[in-house]
Amino acid sequence: MNATATISATQPVLRAANVCKTYRMGRVEVPVLRGVSIEVAEGEWVAILGASGSGKSTLMHILGGLDRPDRGGSGGSSGGVAPSVWFRDRELTGMTEGEIDRYRNESVGFVFQFYHLLPELTVVENVLLPTMRKFGKLGFLRRRGELMQQAGTLLESFGLGHRLRHRPSELSGGERQRTAIARALINNPPVLLADEPTGNLDHKTGATILDAIAGTRSGAKPGQSGRPRTVVMVTHDLEVAARADRVVTLVDGVVTGESAGREVGAA
Amino acid sequence: MYQSLLTRRYLFSKIMPWLATIAVALCSFLTLTSWSVMGGFLNVFLQIGRKLEGDVSITWPTVGFGRYDELIARLEKDPAVEAAAPMIRGFGMISLPDDRAFGVTVQGIDERFAKVSGYADALHWRPLEEPVKKDVNQEDPRLDAEWPRRMERDLRAAKEQGGRPVDPPPLGSFRTWEQMYADGLSLSVRNPRTGVAEPAAVPGIELAGIAQRQAGGWYRAPALIGTRRSDGQDRWSSGFLPSRSVVINMLPVDASGRSLTTTSIRLPVANEFRAGFFEVDKNNVFIPLATMQKLLKMEAGERIEPGSDDPFAIDPLTGEPPKPKVIADVPAKVTTVLVKARAGVSAEELRERCLAVYQQFAADFDGQVPSFQQMVQGRNISTWERNFAMFIGQVKRETVTVLMLLTIISGVCSILILTIFWSMVSEKTKDIGILRSVGCSSLGVAWLWLRYGLVIGVCGAGLGLLMSCLLVWNINEVHDWLGRTLDITVWSPETYYLPDIPSTVEFSKAAIVGGAALGFSVLGALIPAVRAARMDPVRALRFE
Ligand SMILES: Nc1ncnc2c1ncn2[C@@H]1O[C@H](COP(=O)(O)OP(=O)(O)OP(=O)(O)O)[C@@H](O)[C@H]1O
Ligand SMILES: [Mg+2]
Repeated sequence: MNATATISATQPVLRAANVCKTYRMGRVEVPVLRGVSIEVAEGEWVAILGASGSGKSTLMHILGGLDRPDRGGSGGSSGGVAPSVWFRDRELTGMTEGEIDRYRNESVGFVFQFYHLLPELTVVENVLLPTMRKFGKLGFLRRRGELMQQAGTLLESFGLGHRLRHRPSELSGGERQRTAIARALINNPPVLLADEPTGNLDHKTGATILDAIAGTRSGAKPGQSGRPRTVVMVTHDLEVAARADRVVTLVDGVVTGESAGREVGAA
Repeated sequence: MYQSLLTRRYLFSKIMPWLATIAVALCSFLTLTSWSVMGGFLNVFLQIGRKLEGDVSITWPTVGFGRYDELIARLEKDPAVEAAAPMIRGFGMISLPDDRAFGVTVQGIDERFAKVSGYADALHWRPLEEPVKKDVNQEDPRLDAEWPRRMERDLRAAKEQGGRPVDPPPLGSFRTWEQMYADGLSLSVRNPRTGVAEPAAVPGIELAGIAQRQAGGWYRAPALIGTRRSDGQDRWSSGFLPSRSVVINMLPVDASGRSLTTTSIRLPVANEFRAGFFEVDKNNVFIPLATMQKLLKMEAGERIEPGSDDPFAIDPLTGEPPKPKVIADVPAKVTTVLVKARAGVSAEELRERCLAVYQQFAADFDGQVPSFQQMVQGRNISTWERNFAMFIGQVKRETVTVLMLLTIISGVCSILILTIFWSMVSEKTKDIGILRSVGCSSLGVAWLWLRYGLVIGVCGAGLGLLMSCLLVWNINEVHDWLGRTLDITVWSPETYYLPDIPSTVEFSKAAIVGGAALGFSVLGALIPAVRAARMDPVRALRFE
């Protein structure tokens, strides 16, 4: 995997500069992110490694437009630089609510540690949820057959072809997480954001999930463009981080180091 | 799209929305049912109450006014007027065959009264082809054409019954149902000895309280009633009032309202009337207008010159005390002219017309009739509604009270709905986070909950209205069934004096109740919807 350097040289798909996030609990201010800067290149698989409570999830939520960073760069380590988050050439912090919603819907796909599937919907309905949002009622109904088939193929590729009409409660943890990955991919976003996708699974099942994520990058999924998908994955597990091209280490809201995935795995 | 899918799934996978739907349904059911029955009650009362009234009355009480035929002729020329009729309303006393005496309102009427009121319909004793609705065993004597003759024959045959002496009925006092109805209309009974029609009285059927109202809505007349004579002996005689006579006592007053000596007359009972409203049927008796005028000294007469105060004066021409000199004719008087509106003319419009006609009338007969000014001052030209405002007001207030109670219940219900929605949204907090994470907008999520409330509102209100319509339309059958199987009688016809529970649902009421139920549901969903929309998606995802 010597490609890391060359890929990094291309234009970054995600870029965060001096991102700060402080939670206020009563009168006490809890700084979670204290000036984090990170760049993720097109097609790269980046792992964000850090201990529990170091702000990994918070950073990922900000990258995915689910949360917004603090406005002023307050007392961070790299004070002076204006805090900003960019997706390609668009600044997230300057987007309207509607644009952010659209960004989450079309440009990124979230995978969470606890799957976060809607319990009332079947597997295939959960997977189709982002397309319902994307096309609206009429658009969805018009494309219904096509989208159903797309979701079916996607789920089949994850070995869930026989589970389409099941409820999430009827699935195993690994099956649920694969359903969640399929949901994240159905709108074919250029970026996949995964927050400890294996955190709740045993070693072997976790490995299959990582294989699935790896497979979504280059595998020719229906409707996918030529470019490999970018993956940002949050984890506290060195072994999991080793699967990534590059590992960013986060300690107490500050990026403390970067290394190639191989080196982490070797350590 | 996801909203309709999720609404459907939430509805069918949870018990809460069903509870909410039932709550909405019960509330709208309760409100519409009681509003319909209470409102129907008021309508029926209004119909019954006005049965023996005109739409508008022109009244100069006690003393009365003359030239009424001229007034009636002028009124009937007006296009708004269907008919007008004279009447004297006065307070008197009635003595019954069993020697009881009551204060009553005595109303002198003639054949024109039936044209302005439902008098003809109100006459109770008449031939009946079909039994009244609740008379399941067909016990109503009116169904039996032979009933009067049989009664008379039995009474005549029984000199003594159960050891008690029985008085035979007077000749010709039992007439056929047809004859009784005709006699009631003309307020007269043919004298069997002379063949001349004599004036007769028509009291309200509850006045004597002798005929007993049955649960089926018909009346049973007892064969015999007892009277204690002055010699201490009890005598028994016919208990059917139209075979008996009554004494009417009146207290006439002079033009200035001072009382003269009492007058009285014994009248055969031609028939009895039943307006269907207890207060009216208990306190009124009709007698012929001419008889009333005589009793109250309101018939046509002559005004004479006041004589000299010499008690021994002699007319030199005749050699006798001087005859009083007639200086003017005094026209007959009535206290009231009742006016009926033509179809499509409201009582208020009619009253405007009557005011105009009376104004001209009073101007033309200046000094002989009460002036227009006096009439307006005393509100003596008024609609039926105004005359009965007290009573109508009471029923209306009752309706409003019930509605207010129901509104409070509905308010409680909407809080209940709010609570249910609040807990449903709380339970679904994580779902909100998930929906936001796949790009659903906050408005879209709010709409999901509003839509949910709307669906529950529509289903609940629809169900409630349907149940209410089904119950109200069949309320009498349901009530009868309850009475038969469980012996429960909520609606006692003796108490309410209406044989049937009102059983119509007005569309406008259903629309209002349905709209309100829907509104409350949406309102109940609105607050949680706003909460959902404003929820921070990250917080929602972290929600445990
Ligand atoms: N709403 C909040 N209010 C206050 N503090 C918060 C809030 N959300 C997160 N935090 C704090 O922010 C810090 C970072 O949280 P975050 O979830 O990003 O950690 P993490 O690195 O993902 O940890 P883990 O590996 O356990 O998931 C934690 O200390 C947490 O307590
Ligand atoms: Mg985390």
